[in-house]
Amino acid sequence: MLHALVSPGRGWDGRTAANSLSRHEGVGGAGSVAAELCVRRAAYAWGRGSCLCRRCAAPLFLHSPAPHPASALALVDVLLKAVGDTPIMKTKKWSVERTRTIQGLVDFIKKFLKLVASEQLFIYVNQSFAPSPDQEVGTLYECFGSDGKLVLHYCKSQAWG
Amino acid sequence: MTDDKDVLRDVWFGRIPTCFTLYQDEITEREAEPYYLLLPRISYLTLVTDKVKKHFQKVMRQEDVTEIWFEYEGTPLKWHFPIGLLFDLHASNTALPWNITVHFKNFPEKDLLHCTSKDVIEAHFMACVKEADALKHKSQVINEMQKKDHKQLWMGLQNDKFDQFWAINRKLMEYPPEDSGFRYIPFRIYQVTTERPFIQKLFRPVATNGQLNTLGDLLKEVYPAAITPEDGEKKNQVMVHGIEPMLETPVQWLSEHMSYPDNFLHISIIPQPTD
Repeated sequence: MLHALVSPGRGWDGRTAANSLSRHEGVGGAGSVAAELCVRRAAYAWGRGSCLCRRCAAPLFLHSPAPHPASALALVDVLLKAVGDTPIMKTKKWSVERTRTIQGLVDFIKKFLKLVASEQLFIYVNQSFAPSPDQEVGTLYECFGSDGKLVLHYCKSQAWG
Repeated sequence: MTDDKDVLRDVWFGRIPTCFTLYQDEITEREAEPYYLLLPRISYLTLVTDKVKKHFQKVMRQEDVTEIWFEYEGTPLKWHFPIGLLFDLHASNTALPWNITVHFKNFPEKDLLHCTSKDVIEAHFMACVKEADALKHKSQVINEMQKKDHKQLWMGLQNDKFDQFWAINRKLMEYPPEDSGFRYIPFRIYQVTTERPFIQKLFRPVATNGQLNTLGDLLKEVYPAAITPEDGEKKNQVMVHGIEPMLETPVQWLSEHMSYPDNFLHISIIPQPTD
């Protein structure tokens, strides 16, 4: 059973929804995607959000009946900023699940920027420390977020040690 | 004040008697004897187990030895958590020595981070110190330090040199005279039974009325389930460095005296033992 979290927003229609669903359904079925939750932002204040599922870049859609508690579905707003000569992401603003780890975010950015998996990518909070790969984005947002978002700098080389 | 400095030493020199046994399925050329070691509570597994690795490698073939990892009663032990935290969380109410199983195969990718060199431990340790200072001082103190000061913190930890470490760390424990404490207290609360890795939130050491916030106040705010109700039965132990600090203890004091070298208060919530 698949659920649509919210009513269609800007640039989102039933056909797009159906296409997105089929894209996700084809990949191992809803059950296997249970581990990777993709949630659609209700307000759409950030414009077109995109799916952080590792399999595609489809618009956000709740496509699995994963037994996650409600709080895990909560999203935080993340702003990604490139450092140095690291490629800049066309979309900088993302809605990320609280429970997504820094490693998960790194994997996503690497895929999005089409970087080789073996290439290193460093993430920094407050331009001062690199959080542990297993740290949750939600915790970082609560402690270091400002103006309703968590700003993260990413770099192919070590920027702030 | 002398008493308070003693606490710093007691925390630094805490040790856990540990028995390392090679996992039975590891391929050996002859029988592997267990290896006994006193582990520093304040350090990290991969930083202090070179001798353990060497001991077991002696009975194994070179090609069977890949990255070492440790497990306790089936649970992979995260090397990036301080040893004292791991023990308090998993084994504090069991008989000593702490029995840890050593593995060289089948690294559990989903549970553990890789630790390919001491540099990885240093990077992780320094990142924690920086994160703690971001909370305490908006990173002002750590950023004002020179690179050699940062290095001294790491070398002090690596070489078990209390004075070398605290010569620099004391600066991270200071605060402006006009304030009563740090901006926020760096803390993490752990429980074995929950899904989430740990609880970490913003918490001020001083209340709006100027009173010092206590450990009890902290728990009430971020994890009220850990506090025993008025006439209820005590279900949990709130443990730091193997002891249960009184809930009336000011968190500012705890942060200054019972943080780990990474400047975080790592707090374990464990079931009250029934005996």
